[in-house]
Amino acid sequence: MGKLMIVNGSPRAVKSNSKNYIEILKKNINKDIEEYNAISKKIDLFISKLNSCSDLLLVFPLYADGLPVTLMRFLKELENAKLTQKIKVHVLINCGFVEPEQNNVAVEMIKLFCKKNHFDFGSVLRIASGEAILKTPFAFIAKWNIKKLCKSIEKEKQVNIKCTMPISKKTFIKASTNYWIKYGQKNNITKEQMDTMKIEDI
Amino acid sequence: MNLLMSDISLNITLKDDNKYVDLSKLKIANCVGCFGCWTKTPGKCVIRDDATKVYPLIAHSQKIIYVSRLYLGSYDITMKTMLERAIPTQKAFIRLHNGETHHYQRNVLEKDAVIIAYGDISEKEQKIFKKLVERNANNMCFKDWKIYFVKEQDVEKTVIAEVNKWEN
Repeated sequence: MGKLMIVNGSPRAVKSNSKNYIEILKKNINKDIEEYNAISKKIDLFISKLNSCSDLLLVFPLYADGLPVTLMRFLKELENAKLTQKIKVHVLINCGFVEPEQNNVAVEMIKLFCKKNHFDFGSVLRIASGEAILKTPFAFIAKWNIKKLCKSIEKEKQVNIKCTMPISKKTFIKASTNYWIKYGQKNNITKEQMDTMKIEDI
Repeated sequence: MNLLMSDISLNITLKDDNKYVDLSKLKIANCVGCFGCWTKTPGKCVIRDDATKVYPLIAHSQKIIYVSRLYLGSYDITMKTMLERAIPTQKAFIRLHNGETHHYQRNVLEKDAVIIAYGDISEKEQKIFKKLVERNANNMCFKDWKIYFVKEQDVEKTVIAEVNKWEN
């Protein structure tokens, strides 16, 4: 059994929520690990490391209902890589909405990538309310599901799991509104300013 | 106003105040997920490149035609980059819309969308793309949409036929 390569597909890379999920994963997986940020554009180095791996985990946020451009660029480069062994691809995706199902289309895109390029497709964890969940009392839910994902990769038993905050949509909207108001306050921007209807002053 | 936005150059002239945006001629960096357009300069992207001229056009159009190559059932990188950069048209705040949580829109008109997807597109890829556009409809104010899957050589005639519908 080879190593696990973890790719952070977020354009925010080191400041991303994906990075936070990766840190949890690293503490919980019993497997040697390699890491790569998709924005770093050191694809040759990445490929040489990937050739010592049996598994590849793509960790990324949902962007405009699909894959972030940063990850798409990376996947195009991976398509052209010469790999010496069969690799299984796993997905850990997060979105800021409360419904984990909003991630489904992006997961389908990765499945299609695997089919087209002869990668095995492995496990999936779809995290919803992913922008905030680690800063709430519900962080344990995300952590518990990440542990399940780790076990599935270690034991080579495919899972397709999802998680979100166990609250009503109404409560989620209220909590997210407060979250964003506080976010704006850090930049000295009021709720009213954030609420502007203008786009580029029009 | 109606908008034609394409990831390849088209030999087309639009009448009236309709706008044609050729993304292949513009300089547009990818969204860095900084949330600046929601929490620092609301309604304006902090990256001041050509995208800042395009997303107001998207917002204020009543009819749009997007022309894009597909990749993995998604808009390919050129179009997807622009669509990701269009989030200043939304607010950070979340609402319930069609039973799901979505961001509030700023001054964005409800619109009819035509998507002309080109390339060598498999049935599976078509299926994924249809689901993507259905999801986009919630976030991009599409009240109605139609998707054409065409070969690259048929893009221009498909565009012309659709633009003619605006003008008739």
